[in-house]
Amino acid sequence: MPSVSFEHVFKRFDAVSVVEDFDLHVADGELLVLVGGSGSGKSTILRLLAGLEEVTAGTIRIDERDVTSLPPRQRDVAMVFQDYALYPHMTVHENLSLGLRLRKVPRAEIERRVRWVGGALGLEPLLNRRPKQLSGGQRQRVAMGRAMVREPLVFLFDEPLSNLDAGLRAQMRIEIGSLQRRLKTTTIYVTHDQVEAMTLGDRIVVLATGRIQQVGRPIELYRTPVNRFVAGFIGTPAMNFLEGRVEQKDGGSVFTAEGLRIGLPNDRIATVASSEPMTLGIRPENLAIVTGGPSPADAPGAGLRGRVLLVERLGGTSHIHIEVGPHRLMASVSNERLPEIGDRIELQVPPALVHLFGEDGRALLQTLSC
Amino acid sequence: MRTLGRIALYAGLTIAAVTFIYPFLWMASSTFKPPFEVGTLALVPDRITFDNYRNMWARAPFGQALANSALVATTITVAVLVFGSMTAYAMARLRFRGRRALNAATMAVLLVPGQLTLIPLYTLIVQLGWIDSYAALIVPYLFNATSILMLRQFFLQIPQALIDSARMDGMGELRILFTIFWPLARPVLAIVAIFTFMGSWNEVLWPLLVVRDERLMTLPQLLTVFALGGGAGSLGVSLASAMVLVVPVVVAYVFLQRYFIESMAGAGIKG
Repeated sequence: MPSVSFEHVFKRFDAVSVVEDFDLHVADGELLVLVGGSGSGKSTILRLLAGLEEVTAGTIRIDERDVTSLPPRQRDVAMVFQDYALYPHMTVHENLSLGLRLRKVPRAEIERRVRWVGGALGLEPLLNRRPKQLSGGQRQRVAMGRAMVREPLVFLFDEPLSNLDAGLRAQMRIEIGSLQRRLKTTTIYVTHDQVEAMTLGDRIVVLATGRIQQVGRPIELYRTPVNRFVAGFIGTPAMNFLEGRVEQKDGGSVFTAEGLRIGLPNDRIATVASSEPMTLGIRPENLAIVTGGPSPADAPGAGLRGRVLLVERLGGTSHIHIEVGPHRLMASVSNERLPEIGDRIELQVPPALVHLFGEDGRALLQTLSC
Repeated sequence: MRTLGRIALYAGLTIAAVTFIYPFLWMASSTFKPPFEVGTLALVPDRITFDNYRNMWARAPFGQALANSALVATTITVAVLVFGSMTAYAMARLRFRGRRALNAATMAVLLVPGQLTLIPLYTLIVQLGWIDSYAALIVPYLFNATSILMLRQFFLQIPQALIDSARMDGMGELRILFTIFWPLARPVLAIVAIFTFMGSWNEVLWPLLVVRDERLMTLPQLLTVFALGGGAGSLGVSLASAMVLVVPVVVAYVFLQRYFIESMAGAGIKG
């Protein structure tokens, strides 16, 4: 299986820069997920690799071969589109086989591959139907089948599950993951859904405004986001952020914001200019509701006192929205001994799990080992 | 009350339908009437005769004119569909310098009445030495701005992902147009085909200007020359030649009426 390389790739539409200095190597057989909000450039990167858009500057290689100026049909990549893009006037069989017929693949071989894909994706009973006669999930399977049947060097998925309902999306996500592991085809998968990114990707690239924010394994991105954007983007529910400053007290560092003080782990703190405004981040699942007596106010791991505003019961866990002075935080806790709305509670902030970001958004605490 | 209203409605609609259909049926039946009976309003001839058609065929080369008309109208229709959809595809889906100017120019062509370009076009045909040739009848009509704009409008609605997908499958632009866009655009293509064919089939003025050789004349042209020049000799023969002219259009309409009605309904809804 081939690797894919982007070497300092730029893309501009007139004066608007969509992709900025995208430099990345995707390993053989890897499933790489590009994730970001709308306008982050993730789909454009996929289209650049597919040859559907021309790069403004830079080089794209597939298996060491420079494909930057080749048309799509000479790149040997296959793409699954968000809205399936099946040919409405052709049957499933014709949709699957068209790419092969155009490449003059022998008829017997076409039939073999169509049967193989039909079997792998459960499409056999549908081969003579037209897309209009299929459900959303079936259409999605045909779209995947059309990519698979080509046996391409690289698979590209452009938000393939975003038109499906939640249940089907979860099911198809698992299918795509297991299929990719079975076929071991180098795959680039674009999504705005970080759950898809976390569950599918061998590695994830987080993008914002056309630039790479961070590349890493899902757990790395979750545990050690390099900036505030990644911290806020990866993880469900999203990380809590508190605006404040860091003060030195009794040889230790304390994060202070209006109405609260949180001790910081001295062993993880890099150089911090104390006058600079900072953002402290803590994941909802890392906040614990303390049931014992109150701790000293600024001791490491000290509690925050607040009032419960809302309790969202999700079944296995619950989201507790808490007001701490002027700040609002969310804690994700198990369902045992849930507080009621209006209760005064204490939250424990484990120092080892807090994140600190400078004014420019960059992470200031040293990386924890994952 | 409701039944009465319904009866009144159907009565009104029947009268309207008869008003429209009667002249056509009268013309059709009169072509089979002997000369003394042609003037009557009856729809069923007392005695059926094919003399009007026999006389018509004998007095002027209608067979040749029919073939000429078929050749000219078919060539123009095919060309308008092929070249029109190629132009529309480029205007709708390809990015190139001058695309907006091309759109504006095509739109501007619609604003110019055909009569205005008649003289310059005629001069051009004379300069090219194309008087009395099929080229004079066909070439000026190979492109049609209305058709291009109709097709362009439809092509704009086809999802980009379908084009992308076809490109990934290995298609070039022409193949995308003819294997993906054409099947999807069938209703629009049918409308364009009907209008182009009818327009070309019924055209009289232009052939009258550029063709004088009877062997090259189209059917309506020959008919006009024949009827106005007094060649028909009788009303029955005139009507028979009119029937020969109208039948192909009616047949085309019968086959394509589904698309035709769809387009009218669509135009009504979209305003």
